[in-house]
Amino acid sequence: MSWMETPLLQRMERFLDMASLRQSLISSNIANVDTPGYRTRDIDFDKEMQKALAAPDATPHPVVREISGLIERPDHNNVSVDRETMLLAQTQLQFQTGVALLKQEFRRLVTAITEGKS
Amino acid sequence: MNLFGVLDVSGSALTAERQRAEIVTSNLANAETTHTTEGGPYKRQMVVFETSKPSASSFARTFNGLRKEYARGVTVQNILADTSPPLQRFEPSHPDADKQGYVSYPAINPIEEMAELMEAARAYEMNVAAVQATKGMISASLDILR
Repeated sequence: MSWMETPLLQRMERFLDMASLRQSLISSNIANVDTPGYRTRDIDFDKEMQKALAAPDATPHPVVREISGLIERPDHNNVSVDRETMLLAQTQLQFQTGVALLKQEFRRLVTAITEGKS
Repeated sequence: MNLFGVLDVSGSALTAERQRAEIVTSNLANAETTHTTEGGPYKRQMVVFETSKPSASSFARTFNGLRKEYARGVTVQNILADTSPPLQRFEPSHPDADKQGYVSYPAINPIEEMAELMEAARAYEMNVAAVQATKGMISASLDILR
């Protein structure tokens, strides 16, 4: 870990990685809303985040699983429009929160640098 | 995971849904067509969707090289013609009438087609919403640079 890489930065990076992975899965689910036989895919966000925080230096290998318990249509497609649109909004806000915190952390570093010179 | 790749996923769905809407509107337009170049009445067309890996540009592929790709797009795998028999209407004066005076009309139910058109339009809108969300995330991450 270099001096630039504070623990919070590392965590926020993982958080943003996980949020963009989730965004790609939600977009895939929405794209395949009319594909026969398609199953809703997602990650367990909390579990993956805990895994990433427990081993911050390891390359994350998130497990993408099929979501069960959703209503299945006769063509075996089980994409729920409500679920996906809710998650779409949620993930977007999560990502923006992460970016805001990341910016804050960088500003802190900049303050530490600039306040040093007199 | 590359957010620009997510745009490709939603983009593939936009293309597929647009093609579906095109096919449905041509079904509606030809609901009364009794004469085609292949002979016989117009046959109702249907699209078949299939899950696909997004066709990323070679730059994106190289860029993502070592990363596992989780995203799945959608493509139109096939366009099939409906095989159900044509509707027969008794119109002896019609130029396409057979010897008994019956004309074969395409087996198209306009209400069914309208419902499918709406479905395609709504799916299109939903993918546009996904594109907006992804765009918002990309511009948010660009904000880090400021």
